[in-house]
Amino acid sequence: MNEKINLKEIRRKAYTSYHQDGLIDILAACVILSIAAWTILDMVWLLGWMSFVIGASIYAAAKRALTIPRIGFVKFPQQRTKGMLTALVALGVLSSVLGLVAFMQVEGGTTPTWLLLAIEYYMPVIGVSVAALFSAAGYTFRTKRMYAYALLALVIFVPGHFLNFPLYYYLLLLGTLILLLGLAQLIRFIRKYPCSATDTTGDSSNEQ
Amino acid sequence: MNNRADDDETTTIPKIDRLIHEPARLTIIAHLYVVESADFLFLQRQTGLTWGNLSSHISKLEAAGYIEVTKEFVDKKPHTALQLTNKGRSAFKQYRQNMKQVFEDLPK
Repeated sequence: MNEKINLKEIRRKAYTSYHQDGLIDILAACVILSIAAWTILDMVWLLGWMSFVIGASIYAAAKRALTIPRIGFVKFPQQRTKGMLTALVALGVLSSVLGLVAFMQVEGGTTPTWLLLAIEYYMPVIGVSVAALFSAAGYTFRTKRMYAYALLALVIFVPGHFLNFPLYYYLLLLGTLILLLGLAQLIRFIRKYPCSATDTTGDSSNEQ
Repeated sequence: MNNRADDDETTTIPKIDRLIHEPARLTIIAHLYVVESADFLFLQRQTGLTWGNLSSHISKLEAAGYIEVTKEFVDKKPHTALQLTNKGRSAFKQYRQNMKQVFEDLPK
């Protein structure tokens, strides 16, 4: 038995069980749906980010209330999370710089070719960006279903280039599908792991 | 006779840390090795050990200095965090190397 201890498998199992509650899926779905809602109201960027911040706080509270009493608390090594945060910050800075450059060029009377291309193919661009975010989440949390969501985003957004529906239709479709899958995951998790009758101290005096 | 058997075993399989070698403790250490820290409930779910069994093995590992047990209150509830110490981490690495060596040295 001893020579067969598979640390990679143990690590994967630890990550999978901690993230099998579907909360991260519900958070992602809520962010996508709120972006869809604010797209309809034309306030997308400001309130899209606000919904992410509010959603993240609710996610942390839900994790404390639903997940930790059922399967306990674990702290994972931070290398991948730090890498992911660094990549997100770099992406944010790059987007801001590109936006600024594009703004200055448009103000100067010339629209750069890459901007024209990005505007023309905005649906595939959004699809690839959303897929990249889900893939990064899948890598960080070692959760395979995030890669499935990445594929789903591509399947929904790329054909959107050839159809003439408004952007929020696709966002609503993607958000609703992920929300339903996340809720199904959460229900399955709650059924599989009823609230533990014991506390988390491990003291023998607390044994039930 | 027991002593003789022990002698034979130690010459054949040297340096194997018996504290880690016990299957339940090996499972506990392996699970703590891949995370930064975890609580009792998480370890119980992951290892499938009973509460009392887990508690008893944790005490032995803590006494050997392989595991650090931190008790604190989170949201007014008692919470125990378990973490592999540097000594425990090194001991587990050494154990893996030694076990690998043992199996490599066996005749085919």
